[in-house]
Amino acid sequence: MSRGLAVASAAVLLAIATPAAAQEMDHAGHMMGDMGGGWRMPPMDPNMPMIPGLEMALPPVEPFLAAAGIDVMTLPEARPGEVVRLAPGDTLDIEVSIVRRTLNGHTAAMYGYNGQYPGPLIEAPQGSTVLVRVTNRIESPTTVHWHGLRLENRFDGVPGLTQDPIEVGESFTYELRVPDAGMFWYHPHVREDVQQDLGLYGNLRVTPTDPDYHGPAHRDELLVLDDILMDDAGFIPWGREAPTHALMGRFGNVMLVNGVTGHTLDARAGEVIRFFLTNVANTRTYNVTFGNARVKLVASDVGRFEREMWVQSVVIAPAERYVVDVVFPEAGEVAIANTIQAVNHFRGEFYPHVDTLALVTVAGPPLDDEITRAHATLRTNEAVTAETAALRAHLGRPADHTLEATVRVHGLPLPIVRSMEIDTLYIPPIEWNDAMPMMNWLSAGTQVTWILRDADTGRENEAVHWTFQQGDLVKIRVFNSPDSFHPMNHPIHVHGQRFVVLARDDVPNDNLVWKDTAIVPVGSTMDILVEMSNPGDWMLHCHIAEHLSAGMMFHFTVE
Amino acid sequence: MAVWVSGMGGWIRSRRPQGWLALAAALAVMAAAPVPENAGRVADSPSEVAGSLAGCGLGSAARGAGPDYYRFPMVSTRRVPGTGNATGFGEIAFAKSPFGISLTEDGSYLYEFTVRFERLNPARTGTYVVWTTTPELDEIVPAGEMTDPAAFSGKVAWNKFLVVVTLEPAFDPDAATWTGPIVIRGMSRSGMMHTMAGHGPFEQENCAAYGYE
Repeated sequence: MSRGLAVASAAVLLAIATPAAAQEMDHAGHMMGDMGGGWRMPPMDPNMPMIPGLEMALPPVEPFLAAAGIDVMTLPEARPGEVVRLAPGDTLDIEVSIVRRTLNGHTAAMYGYNGQYPGPLIEAPQGSTVLVRVTNRIESPTTVHWHGLRLENRFDGVPGLTQDPIEVGESFTYELRVPDAGMFWYHPHVREDVQQDLGLYGNLRVTPTDPDYHGPAHRDELLVLDDILMDDAGFIPWGREAPTHALMGRFGNVMLVNGVTGHTLDARAGEVIRFFLTNVANTRTYNVTFGNARVKLVASDVGRFEREMWVQSVVIAPAERYVVDVVFPEAGEVAIANTIQAVNHFRGEFYPHVDTLALVTVAGPPLDDEITRAHATLRTNEAVTAETAALRAHLGRPADHTLEATVRVHGLPLPIVRSMEIDTLYIPPIEWNDAMPMMNWLSAGTQVTWILRDADTGRENEAVHWTFQQGDLVKIRVFNSPDSFHPMNHPIHVHGQRFVVLARDDVPNDNLVWKDTAIVPVGSTMDILVEMSNPGDWMLHCHIAEHLSAGMMFHFTVE
Repeated sequence: MAVWVSGMGGWIRSRRPQGWLALAAALAVMAAAPVPENAGRVADSPSEVAGSLAGCGLGSAARGAGPDYYRFPMVSTRRVPGTGNATGFGEIAFAKSPFGISLTEDGSYLYEFTVRFERLNPARTGTYVVWTTTPELDEIVPAGEMTDPAAFSGKVAWNKFLVVVTLEPAFDPDAATWTGPIVIRGMSRSGMMHTMAGHGPFEQENCAAYGYE
């Protein structure tokens, strides 16, 4: 018997042996309540039946919930995130701690930076250096990665590469050099699938030195997009030794904006609101729509677009940021929504699915001042085009390195393997929803290896190592191979540097913007040009938290 | 007035029995047409699909941009003189988007598609017109007149769609549907999405509980 089959059989035996305490089943055969050992099956669409043979199956890892055994009511209640403005040289103390949160009617332990959700919005002026002293008060080691910052390598927050993990009770002081204006964010680089999902994320805004950096707006609003997986009893446990949901990543079924459900805001018709969107979800890519509003796209991860442009929606992958200037034209209520065509694998269909993320109450009469009128104009950012003109010269040359994204699985239960082999007759470019929650939940990081393979050497993941010289412009082609057990979109993140997406599927990008994360749909090829401006050892990885934990990463050196 | 919504957008409610009938009719039409020898076989891998198309003489040099994975064959009906030996394929690429993925307001993919043909002789009378339609044929869009019998490019905003080339007396951009015979047609790769209802591991399921008769 092959090892895979042996593991699958063992999983089935384990499932059969699981006591059936407190179990109920809905009409589609979904288990409800405790399945034994602390596991509860994630909620499933009642129109999606269980795959026979998996009714009692459990992930092959132990369940984990934060602060197990602690009376949650003894924990400090978390509070909304605050703004902290730092001057050059200032130090901010951040305590990573266990907090009490109530989401969707359930009170449970989560994590917080300074007891806040999201963590404090840190503001620092462009070109400055500020310090953040982080003390770990949660139950496991952690670090803080400053996503998108071109900072000194030893403060990048990658355990085992740039620092030792911050053990429980210990502290680490990060010196944050912030050369680029924009909206960045921070999160752990230890088991992001758990720690980030439990609330450890916050934004860092670098305020531009140029007062005319963006066009005028009446005000700014943050939209930090997240989701979390819950059932009637609270959070579905995470995997203790390795992630569950290793195939598609852990989609939540409760939508959060700025850490809460039911986010609301008021607006005035004609008011120009600058929304800063950050996707901190483990795996979900959003298509954010703004009702009948006029939406102007102005910036992304590490800077402004060459040219502002009108968009119907904002497609934002995990870890990406976008900045849009939005005008709601008339009084009324407008839903900011995630508007997608989801997949129903059982029926082999797409279906429209809308999740309201926030409700905007728009008051009249409409404003019509200079700022409103300026919104009608699309700016060209000469400072950006001056930088990017030379980058286009690299369009016609071959890539310096080619990466292939793929996956290998081992020991998954046989019903999953069989179903997937049928199901992957067609894989959509983007997985907008968890179309196979049961199979996804049962796949653990111990059974799935997500791979970045160097096409030149055949090396994979941490066996890949590239060395560059500071100042190199390196062209990297990323091919998301459709020839695998389960192809999926991947948001690729490069630490410590900035890049532009030169082309997708050999079609040149005619509106460049500096990025640190960009998504590669299934079957697609993305050519990025990385400016190796920052010396040190830096990671390149998929920013789906479960894919990262399942191996999809390596590091390179800039000398 | 906007409301909080969270959940399915009513895909069961939106299903129309006539849609299924139309699909069945469309499939019947396609099934009635002569088929290539290997048409009944599912390729073992996406690259094999690409390879088989390249074998038609449409090698990589003839390909445009877009992921090979989503390429789909165009199959002649052999109903129109001079087109029986025509072969071809369709390919898709996202319409230009700053996000790398182009979507419509309802979240459907917005694609630029190109269909390429070999051995498709020019129309002897009338003109070839390219249409896009849903698998249910409940919406039909005239994509344009095919003045070049080797290739045509257009846009499509459905996740699953058919590309249909018909022989028409003339091109009418306002036409609701075609009137002439279908010359050649193909379905997006997403048409390979497979319902598992009522067979395989779900053979014992009560399909009526999920909206099937």
